[in-house]
Formats: sequence, C-alpha cells, structure tokens
Amino acid sequence: MDKLIAELKVKIIDILNLQDVTPDNFDENVQLVGGSLGIDSIDVLEMVVMVERDYGIAINSQEVGEKVFSSLTSLAEYIRDNLPGASS
Amino acid sequence: MAKRVYIAGAGVISPLGTGLAATEAALRDNRSAIKPLTLFTPLHGKPLPVGQVAELDECFPLPRTHRLALVAAMQAMASSAKPPDAVILGNTTGGILTTEQLLKDKADNKALYRYHGLNTVTEFIAELLGCHGPAITVSTACSSGAAAIAMALKMLRSGKAQTVLAGGVDSLCRLTYFGFHALQLVDREGCKPLDIDRHGMAVGEGAAMLLLSTEKPDHPLAELLGAGLSCDAYHPAAPHPEGHGALMAMRAALADAGLKPADIDYINLHGTGTPENDLAEAKAITTLFAEPPPLSSIKGATGHTLAAAGAIEAVVSVSTVVHNLQPANTGCLRPDPALGLTPLSQPVTKQTSAVLSNSFGFGGNNGCLVITKADRFAMPAAAPAVSGLAIHGWACLTGAGGTEATMSLLAQGKTVDGMADLNAISKNLPPPLVRRLKRLPRMTLSLAQAAHQNSGLTPNPASVFLGTGWGALTETYDFLTRLSDSEDQFPSPTDFVGSVHNGPAGQAAIMLGATGANLTVSGGDYSFEQALLATEMFLEKDDNTGLVLGVDEGHPALSPLFDFSILPGTPLADGGGALVVSHNQEKALGCVRLLFYESSAAPRALDDLLTALGGVQTIGNKYRLLLVGIPAGEREKGEIQLARFMQQSGCTAPVIDYRRLTGEFASASAVAAVMAVSFLAAGQMPDALVTGDNLALESAGDTILVLGLGRYFSAMEFSRS
Repeated sequence: MDKLIAELKVKIIDILNLQDVTPDNFDENVQLVGGSLGIDSIDVLEMVVMVERDYGIAINSQEVGEKVFSSLTSLAEYIRDNLPGASS
Repeated sequence: MAKRVYIAGAGVISPLGTGLAATEAALRDNRSAIKPLTLFTPLHGKPLPVGQVAELDECFPLPRTHRLALVAAMQAMASSAKPPDAVILGNTTGGILTTEQLLKDKADNKALYRYHGLNTVTEFIAELLGCHGPAITVSTACSSGAAAIAMALKMLRSGKAQTVLAGGVDSLCRLTYFGFHALQLVDREGCKPLDIDRHGMAVGEGAAMLLLSTEKPDHPLAELLGAGLSCDAYHPAAPHPEGHGALMAMRAALADAGLKPADIDYINLHGTGTPENDLAEAKAITTLFAEPPPLSSIKGATGHTLAAAGAIEAVVSVSTVVHNLQPANTGCLRPDPALGLTPLSQPVTKQTSAVLSNSFGFGGNNGCLVITKADRFAMPAAAPAVSGLAIHGWACLTGAGGTEATMSLLAQGKTVDGMADLNAISKNLPPPLVRRLKRLPRMTLSLAQAAHQNSGLTPNPASVFLGTGWGALTETYDFLTRLSDSEDQFPSPTDFVGSVHNGPAGQAAIMLGATGANLTVSGGDYSFEQALLATEMFLEKDDNTGLVLGVDEGHPALSPLFDFSILPGTPLADGGGALVVSHNQEKALGCVRLLFYESSAAPRALDDLLTALGGVQTIGNKYRLLLVGIPAGEREKGEIQLARFMQQSGCTAPVIDYRRLTGEFASASAVAAVMAVSFLAAGQMPDALVTGDNLALESAGDTILVLGLGRYFSAMEFSRS
C-alpha cells in the first residue's frame, strides 16, 4: 500500500505539473480535489485516464470518481481493491 | 444613423438535413439525428453517438469543414446577385480532420496542409463568392457561430459593410470526438438536454449562415435585432455554476435589441445536455425571466455542432419567427425538477415575434442573439461612431524577450527573431494559474500582464480580443500524438481544453477578471488586424479598457508544415504584441485606427487602399514612418505591391521591413504595432534602422503606418496625441 501511494505521488505530481509539491510534502490524507492543491475537474479526468492506462481500472461515473479522488489514500485503496486479480 | 439589420437569406446543413425545409420538417417530426459515428473508426470501443451529416459530396478535394461551409453559403446567397461586403464565420476545426490523417501518415508535403488554418474556410467562401472585403474567422469554441453573427451585426450597424454573410461551421474530427469523450461530457445513449437522466452531449457537425443586410430586401426573412457577448472569467471548460456569464450575455443581447425579457416569445437554449451546462443556463434564465417563455434545446436532435451550433440555431430561430415553429426539446423525457424549467415536449405552432438564442462555450465565451419578425419592434439605437482607439499600455514578446529587451536590440539595429524564452515568460505569472498551460497561453498571459502594468491603470481591462494565426499548436500536437500513440485510448483532457483557439483569451479573462466581450479571431498573417477590428466593433464606450493582442507560437513539428512563410531552413520565431485601449483619449499616448483590410486580389485594391489612407496628398504629408509586413511566403508579390504603393502614393517616409527583424510568424504585425507605439513613446525612430534628417516623433499628430501586404492589404495607423 505504501509503495502504491509513493508511486501515485510521483505520477500525480508529474501529470498535473503540481508546483512546489514533492513526494515528501504531499500528504496522502489531505483533500485531493478542490483543496489547497488547486486540483479541479480537468485534473480529475487526467487522473482517471492515468488510472485506466497504468492500472487498467476504469472510473466512468462521477459519483464513484468523487469518492475515489477524495484523497490519495482513497485512490490507492480503490486501485488496490480493483486491480485485476484483487481478492475482493 | 440607426439601422435595421435584416436577414435576407439563410442556409443550413446539419445532421437533420440540408436546407431550411428539410431542417424544419425534421424539427416538426421531433426526430433525433444522433447515431453512432461512421465518419471514421475508433480503434477501441464502440463508436459513440454523434450528430453526423449524412449527405455530403465526398468527391471534392477540400476538407470536410470547407465543404459543409460551401453548402450553407450557397443556400444563404441563393437569392443575392452580388457578393457580400464581408464574410464572418465561426469555426474551430478548419482542416483538422484532414490534418489528423496526414499527421498519422507522416505526410511532410506542406502543400497538403494548405487548408489546415481556420481562416482558410472563411477565405475560401469569400473568394468563391467574389467578396474582397474582410474575411473574418471567429473562434470562441461552442459560441463561435453566435459570436460571428454578433460581430456581423456590429459591423453592419457601424456602416463598415452593407451586407455580411455570417455564420458558423465545424466538421466532426478526432480532436473533438475524443476530446469531449476524454472530458466525460459525452452521453453514451444519445443526448437528453434538461432531462433528469442527462449525461452529456453528442458531438456534431454542420454549417449555417445568414445573409445580413442593412438594405431592406424585398422579402426579408427576419431581423437580427440584437446581440450580446460576455465572458465567465471563471474556468477554461466548466460554466460558471450560477450562470453569471450566461445571464450577462442574455441581458446584453436584450439591451442591445432594446427589448425587455417579457418581449421574448421563445428561447432557443444552448442546452448541451451536460449536467453543469443545463443547470447553469437554467439558473441564468430563472433569474432573468420572472416567467420564462416557452423554451427548448434542439441539441437532442442535432447533437452539439460546436462552432456551427449558434449559427444553426440562429437559422432555426429564423424558422421560428417566419413559420411560428417552436421546436421540441428532443430527447428530454423527464425534465429535471432542479432546473425549474418546462422545456417543450412537442413542437408547437405559435405566434412568435421574438426569439432569444443562447450559445455558451469553453473559455467562458458566451454569445446570445435576438432574432425577430422584420420591422416588428422599434429600431435599436444608432451605433456610436468609432474614430480610433486610445492607447494606454503596450507590450511585446519576441525572440529577444519582452518589450524593453526587444526595443533595446532594435535600437541597435539588431534583429529580435527566434523563439521567446518560455521560462522567462512564465517567471511573473501566478504558478497555480499556469501549471497546466503550455506555450501559447503562457505567452498570452505574459503579454496581458505586461501591457496592463505598462498602462499604469488600476482597473483591469474588461474585455479581451485576441488574434492568433494558428492557435495552441503544442496542445493540439500533444493531444493528437498521445491519442495516436495510445491507439485512440488515452487522449488528454487537459490538452483538449488547451487546444481550442480561444483558450488563451479565456485564461487572460480569468487572470484579469475580464467579464466583458471576449473574442478570439484567426486570420492567418492578418490575425492581429482582425482582433483590432473586433475591438473597434465590441469595445464599449463605458468599458474601463480593453486588451487587444496578437500572439502565435512556433512549433517545431507543426509550424513548418502549416505556415507558408516558414521556408526550408527558416529558423522558428514567435511572440506577439498587446495594447491596452479605450475610447477615452485622456492621458492616452495616442490613437490606433484600422483604416483598411481587404483582399489584394480586388480589382482596384491599391486604389482603394490609397483612398482609405486619405489620398495621395495626405499620405505624402501624414506618415512619418512605414512599418511594412511582407510574409516570406508572399515575398515576391509583396515587394511589387510595396514598390507600387510607394510610387503611386508618392510617400517618401522611411520604410522598415519588419518581418526581417521579427522573424516569420502569423501575428508578427502585433509586434510591429508595439514597435510603432514604442517609437512614438520614445519620441524618435531608431537611427540604426532608418536613415534621414528628421527622426523625431515628438509632435502631436506624428503618425506611423503599419502596412500589411501579400494576400491582403491591411493598414493600421498609430498617431501621437
């Protein structure tokens, strides 16, 4: 799980070109969308594409998206639970 | 003098059919034309529902957008014996459908890309009709068609034209099909505007045009009574959640028409079917109308035809007032109670005198039109005469850097060509704002900021007018590359939003809080001139100030393919210029006027130019310096034109051939404009660039002419107060 979170931090900083954010100061429990990071709906869609491309998991509904992208931790949990071959 | 603007002709081709009669028949049937895409085959996934035009002659060697435009133009002009004075078309796709395939095939023969530019659609139609006047291309995403018609209205009222062919056109292409899908704005089950179960739009295509005239035709179809533009200045892709921009545009259109909300009999909604758009529009309508009139969106029938939408809906509005047909809100079964609106569930035949037609787009660019039965309402007030714009601030960007660095090199007689340094451009821009922005929007914001600071004025400019020859090339290239590399699977939503031509002007509006008119135009090498014309048309007397810019980026892969002035071995150059202008001469440095902009192919083009400049004697006395722009692709022709101009005008002022200094890019004339203003501000011409006894530019009335040559003649005059 920690490894997945660390991996996601690097990916998200890169694809969203987050300024002044590093993997070290990126709090995985902080509000991801609409919070201090300045992440908005377009960024969410960019992350949706990343999750589908890199983990093979589609997020097609806004309701699911809102829950999944509430924090980095929730995103990591969703990916872990839905990875092809996950036990649940 | 007050003038009525009549609708003398109308043409339309859409997924509903070709011509007004077929369109009306489909609307009376309440039939949706939305079907799975067949125009091209996505490599993955089921084709999504789209609004695709069924009948279009394929044997024509032009891109699809041009062919769609041709059909609508021929219909609109059918009853007119003479060409229009100007053609103004909204367009976002140009030849991109063709370009997409060429790029996939790695075609490197630039002749194949000659119809890529948005301006080529308008210029093709103008040439075909024998129109030598301005051919203006408006690109404000999904409001392009409405904005183009709005600009035509202003131009007609100003007396600069007596007839204008105006409308919008877009073809389906991979960029819009996959782009809107990447934004999750497409409803996989068609399109159900205003329905509680709506999930988005269906991307569409089509073209529609109106022949507008201030001379009353024998049988006018209808009247264009008013138009209003606004900008959300809120988000690059999402509407303002309370519909503030939509409300302002509707209010502006009603005020322009001299009507009250109660005068409107029917509203043709923007109604795309996305949850956010329909909610924002509904909020704006319920705020403006105590009891909203009958209303509907036809996008459940046509799909969202993007730049064509505002024009198609204007043509449908003509049908509404001519035949009293109020179309149904096709696709909506259960109106969303949260919207507080009751869209028409069936087409209705009902006496209709006045229609309000709404169009809203990316960049928060909104445009609303009021179309009425001819001569039914009082004539709107006369348009105030515009005699030039007062210049308060200026800035340029070149390979040398900002204004100071550029002017310092020019003063030494050195060139300022090359690519602007992106890091230096980005240095003073707010980091959260530019995080997602690539080259063109960053250049735009940097210019906007520098010009505003230079003006020393406290209130920000309220409106933004931007000319760009090629738009955001980096975003377009990155979007198509990632789409192709991922076999159509993972297009970037960010790049799609950034790829629209009006993205940079929308970003500038957000940075400045500029909620007034926001217009992006694309006129090849004359893009800045078109932006200046738009400013003259739309800058309100009571606006604080307006910002007019010309900006283009050099792109290593695309610029050499698209731009005919980038010859083999030409180093890339880019940059732009910006002016802060108003109608208030107080404390202004001077004044800018666009005196001429017409095709050089007109039989008496040079004579007309000389007349517009005041005639031979005036030209000889008035102009102290000529900044002449000859695009490299037109070098030979331009040299001859210049020689003839100098000979026939008897002008002996020194000439600076400015593209030799700036390098080759479409909006180089914006840099020339700022050069002219900077020389006036400095009080003298740079002696390293011109020779002569009297280089001082200190006196009131000292005037510099920025002359554009090549395919068009353009003349911008800069004079000291």
